[in-house]
Amino acid sequence: MIMTSEQQLKLQAFLDGELPEKEARDAAALVARDAEAADLVAELRNTRRALAGFEPGLKVPESRECYWSRIERLIQRLEPAPATAPSVSFFGRLRRFLVPTGAVAALVIVAAVAVLELGRPGVLARPETEMTSPDSAAFTYQDDANGTTLVWLSYPAESGFAEKAVH
Amino acid sequence: MAETDHSSAEDATLVRAARAGDTGAFEELVARHRDKIYARAYSMVRNEDEALDLSQEAWVKGWHRLKQFQGESSFSTWMTRIVINLCLDELRKQKRQRTDSIEEMDEESGGVERQMPVVTVNPTERLERGELRQRIDRAMDLLSYEHRTVLVLHEFEEMEYKEIARTMGCSIGTVMSRLFYARRKLAARLADLKAEI
Amino acid sequence: MRFKKPLSVCPGWLAALCFLMTFTGIAAPAKDLKFQALLVWATDAEKSPDHNHKPVDAEVLKKLRELPLRWKNYFEVRREHFIVPRGGAEKVTLSDKCKIGVTDVDGRHVEVSLIGKGEPVLKRIQPLSRGETLVLGGNAPDSTGWLVVLKRVE
Repeated sequence: MIMTSEQQLKLQAFLDGELPEKEARDAAALVARDAEAADLVAELRNTRRALAGFEPGLKVPESRECYWSRIERLIQRLEPAPATAPSVSFFGRLRRFLVPTGAVAALVIVAAVAVLELGRPGVLARPETEMTSPDSAAFTYQDDANGTTLVWLSYPAESGFAEKAVH
Repeated sequence: MAETDHSSAEDATLVRAARAGDTGAFEELVARHRDKIYARAYSMVRNEDEALDLSQEAWVKGWHRLKQFQGESSFSTWMTRIVINLCLDELRKQKRQRTDSIEEMDEESGGVERQMPVVTVNPTERLERGELRQRIDRAMDLLSYEHRTVLVLHEFEEMEYKEIARTMGCSIGTVMSRLFYARRKLAARLADLKAEI
Repeated sequence: MRFKKPLSVCPGWLAALCFLMTFTGIAAPAKDLKFQALLVWATDAEKSPDHNHKPVDAEVLKKLRELPLRWKNYFEVRREHFIVPRGGAEKVTLSDKCKIGVTDVDGRHVEVSLIGKGEPVLKRIQPLSRGETLVLGGNAPDSTGWLVVLKRVE
């Protein structure tokens, strides 16, 4: 018997335990009576078994220390800068030129804000997209020449969000 | 001393400590699960350097999102989802650069695999584990990213069809056909490889 | 030396404050951020089934044509202009099921959140200077697409 595409996918779903009980019984019956169906299921099963032992063998090709050190650097780079560090020496010098009054302290605060405003690299080292659902994903296309960023969401069209959003 | 404490602590304890800013605790979590996270990235992108970068980026993202981890799944599962999404993002970006078309992202490959003769002999039967891994590795390289990703999510991540559909932003029907084509292609490749001996 | 006298006459903190205000620009009142948000339907169909939808204007069309999108036509579903106060946030409704929120993070970065069917879908933080555009999009049924085109006007 020549199987249809639908039958083939059903046999696969049967193998993967994705069929409802009634359809699973029908699929099992087809496998029992049809050699081609049985061969196909056997092939799919063999592939599945072959893959089962594949991934666990992969290991990070770097030492623990080396691997961690880059992560640590990236984390530190994205951490907010300490609020006071850059301004201390600047105001040490500034103080010598200004009349020392009690208000200098207030000035330090104002200046610290200003210096940080001008000098810090930004909230993030690079833009970040965060999907609310861990199962969703987005990817980004950057057109620097036109100052346009496109963020494309893998929000399923079937969800009805888009349809309802537009209509 | 502190390291010894970390190494004997459970993941949940380490997550709590890391959330409070303890990078030592987070380093221990990285050490424990780095192979799995790297392996998942490698399975998807098929490039050692990219897999390293993406897995490390995933850890950085994980660190910044620790507050969002509520413990509904294990920490390693949570981290795995982060690296999967990063890889999907990267692969789509690469595919976009190649095809320059969003429409093509969801394009199905042809139906040739449906007509392929079934591989009746298990081509991996008598292979040593290392040899088998090598052969699968080569066969996986030849799959398109959509096919490989569905395989990875189903076989390694043990996701159900509907979870894969959600993750990849496609229909369950598409997942089923991609998985079918991927398995059939892989079987054919493995059979070919055997014939080369 | 020339400046010694005025500095000693004025309260020191005031002089220094003036100096800092001049050179850092922090004295200028922080300007609000102005945005234009468009909800767009992307399709190969020649006409939108809704006669209220008009083709997007030439400027938006040009932007979209330069992106790797291959739909033939883009229809404007809704257009909103809104202001985000410095350090503040604003939400706008683009359809019954689609809202966006924009927060000024630090004057350079904005946090844009997309809310679909009342649920947060995406949050993105990025720099968005005057004249720059952020496009959020996704596939819609029947090989169409939806786009939110957010432009910082000022």
